[in-house]
Amino acid sequence: MALWVDKYRPRELSKLDFHKEQAENLRNLCKQSDFPHLMFYGPSGAGKKTRIMCLLREMYGSGVERLRSETMTFTTPSNRKIEVMTVSSNYHLEVNPSDAGMYDRTVVIDLIKQVAQTHQIEISGQREFKVIVISEGDELTKDAQHALRRTMEKYVATCRIIISVNSTSRIIPAIRSRCLGIRVAAPNETEIVSILQSTCKREGLALPVELAKRVVDKSERNLRRALLMLEAAKVAKAPFTANQEIPDLDWQVFLRETAAQIISEQTPGKLEKIRERLYELLTQGVPPNLIFRGLVEQLVNNCDMSIKAKTLEFATEYEHRMQSGAKHIFHLEAFVAQFMNIYKKFLSELVMTDDF
Amino acid sequence: MSARKKTWVRCAFSEMNLTASPVTSEATPAKRTRSASNVTTRVSRSQSGNTPKSTPTKIPAVESVDLTAIDDDQDADITGPPPEVRENWMDSFAPATSEDLAVHPKKIGELRDWLRHCEVVRKKFPAQMCLLTGPTGAGKTATLRCLAKEFGFQVQEWINPVDCEVVNALGDQPSGASYVGSHLEAFKSFLLRASRYKSLLDSQNKRLLLVEDFPNVLLSDKEANFEELLDEYSTYGKSPLVFIVADSKSRGLNISYRLFPDQLKAKHRIEHISFNAIASTIMQKSMKSFCSIMQQPQNKATYKMPSSAVVDSIVVGAQGDIRNALINLHLSSLKGVASMPTKQLNVGVATKGRKKKMQSTLNSIGRDESITLMHALGRVLNPKFNEDKSMLHSPEELTEAFNTEPRNFVNFIHANYLPHFRDIEEVVTAINDLGLSDAMLNEYRDDALSVMGLNLAIRGVMLANSSPVSGWMPVRGPKRINIQSQASLAEQRLLGVGFAGISMTLYTTEYSSLVKCIASKHSEDKSSQSKDSFLN
Repeated sequence: MALWVDKYRPRELSKLDFHKEQAENLRNLCKQSDFPHLMFYGPSGAGKKTRIMCLLREMYGSGVERLRSETMTFTTPSNRKIEVMTVSSNYHLEVNPSDAGMYDRTVVIDLIKQVAQTHQIEISGQREFKVIVISEGDELTKDAQHALRRTMEKYVATCRIIISVNSTSRIIPAIRSRCLGIRVAAPNETEIVSILQSTCKREGLALPVELAKRVVDKSERNLRRALLMLEAAKVAKAPFTANQEIPDLDWQVFLRETAAQIISEQTPGKLEKIRERLYELLTQGVPPNLIFRGLVEQLVNNCDMSIKAKTLEFATEYEHRMQSGAKHIFHLEAFVAQFMNIYKKFLSELVMTDDF
Repeated sequence: MSARKKTWVRCAFSEMNLTASPVTSEATPAKRTRSASNVTTRVSRSQSGNTPKSTPTKIPAVESVDLTAIDDDQDADITGPPPEVRENWMDSFAPATSEDLAVHPKKIGELRDWLRHCEVVRKKFPAQMCLLTGPTGAGKTATLRCLAKEFGFQVQEWINPVDCEVVNALGDQPSGASYVGSHLEAFKSFLLRASRYKSLLDSQNKRLLLVEDFPNVLLSDKEANFEELLDEYSTYGKSPLVFIVADSKSRGLNISYRLFPDQLKAKHRIEHISFNAIASTIMQKSMKSFCSIMQQPQNKATYKMPSSAVVDSIVVGAQGDIRNALINLHLSSLKGVASMPTKQLNVGVATKGRKKKMQSTLNSIGRDESITLMHALGRVLNPKFNEDKSMLHSPEELTEAFNTEPRNFVNFIHANYLPHFRDIEEVVTAINDLGLSDAMLNEYRDDALSVMGLNLAIRGVMLANSSPVSGWMPVRGPKRINIQSQASLAEQRLLGVGFAGISMTLYTTEYSSLVKCIASKHSEDKSSQSKDSFLN
């Protein structure tokens, strides 16, 4: 019993639902014997991973679909053991080095060495190289990225690297220039609606168009989120109705409440409570940049026109500092404090003009 | 020998005279504030008021010559050479009886009780052990020696040998055929033999072993080593054993913490007596008694009476370290030596008359003021100001105290600053500076930036808060963020093999809440199904 997201994931390049022209190009790329390092970039839930898996299948045949998960252990120079989960087949290995945090450099180097130093056993297989898929490559530290650059060159004979990233801006230019960039844009709304419809048809369910549209709106053109939402909605209420409730992401709800609290009161005491909430989100594992963005969106939506511009200006400044700093909470808190200050001033001015 | 010493003394102190003259201290005002520097000069002038030359002259050379022979009451040796100093001058100040000790009577009582206990069980359990800890110069060793004399114990002390050369079997051949013996072995044999056999030169029968100088092997190796040693001693040892350990701030160097864990203390019933730094009132008293010793006929040739201002400054500067105080007193009251320059501390101390008296400390000599994290946090979060709006504790001093671990201190400030603020506008300026300092601390390519970042954080928070909230607030440690995978087993099963490919952050942001709904439904379905299919 798998999730719909996995169950109805296209397995072949020819069966992809959108960006068909690009799929054709990828097939042509596979026909040649050689193959460069690739970098898939695009927003979350646009189908990067799906495309990568289709590409691998096109190259190696159905053997890549026999997956096994493995926990690999690495030893850092400071003698600390870290465990990283990997998914692999005979032909490829998928890893998420960002889970190793600041030790991702060790993971990247050791992993590629391990994979690349062994040749393919079956020579009859079409390719003489293996593929390493690095997901969330933009979470790699600069150190790890530099290490990756070296190893990419060194082991080019035995392995190819496919990096999947959300934004190329956080990838160092050296890696960008070594990879063939492939942009995977988010599907547009009609595409998502048609995918949702076809999924429901295969499940034997009727999906009202209004509901499909609402799911699309809520998912922010994230196909994975849309499918998961739809399935969760189905679990809540089996035959779909046009105006049934669609479950929310709980961290977004939490963030919305936090924003409401910021607007309700502007004191140092309140700020302390907000800090606790932010800590809770961070310990859950919500990335700080997402928290920042969600918070800014909520606050800007709920405040007066006159202070919107100022809020955004401060948001950019603190977000930038957050990238260069190490303690994300400092900058999140600074932004919240700054907003509280602006908002409080705005309110007091409002009272004054009311009086006159 | 004495001639050499004389020249040494003279040249060392003649240099000091120059810096000590009032003229120079006027030319270079003290760093703090105008008023402080004025006070300094006034103090030194009032001192020179005792001398016949009360009017300050502008010629430093003359002044310094004058100061070399400062005191008029004993002006017999104005031009004479400085006195000779006996080699063991400190012995003449050593406390003879327990009444002379500057230690708090309660602590002396504790140690006395232990020694009495040793006497009582001497026949049955001779190998009693005791651990004395406390800051340097708290009088640990002096107390022990005094009381040992009182009880008639002969103190035998272990001193680390410079080398443990063991001559090889061929005996007296000096060629490099010798090897360095184990310190540990030597230490062990000392413990066992010294407690059993008395020295040929001694008459006393009771012995007490003292270990103040721990062999380094004990510190580098595992503690098990030391534990074995103590086990052996407790069975074979024949006399009480006392360990003296000075407190140390760093954990790695803290012997009492590393070598004497609680279970070891419990196992051998080691009596732990911790001394405190000597209180300033007791210190004052003992300074007086030192002064009276100086007035004794055999010392009169060496010492002159120091002024009370100097004595007070010595007490303040020593911070409870009586050894340091004695050395300073000795140096400042040698004949033929200028009085020491003092510096005003900007800490007011309420005296009995409810008047604030400014404390002063020695300008050059004295212990550095050490400051704990909690104290420093208090100074940052509750900044105090002088009358002229300058800060009582300068941010630079605080920065200097913590520049080895800037990040830690900034994190502590961040964790604790909020409850001390009243106004959100002030919070903004404070957190703004904290954020900037975080960005600066993260820049590893320049060392100087970390100090600047720390300074910025400290100064920013101190200055931002115009009216700190007072009252007791518990100090909280900075929070660590430790992301753990939230997925339950049912959720993992739903995702299958692919779960390993999803990072923890992606899981919480995209999957977690929705998959939870789906998984809960599935588990309901499954529980309604037959159980054996569930197991598969």
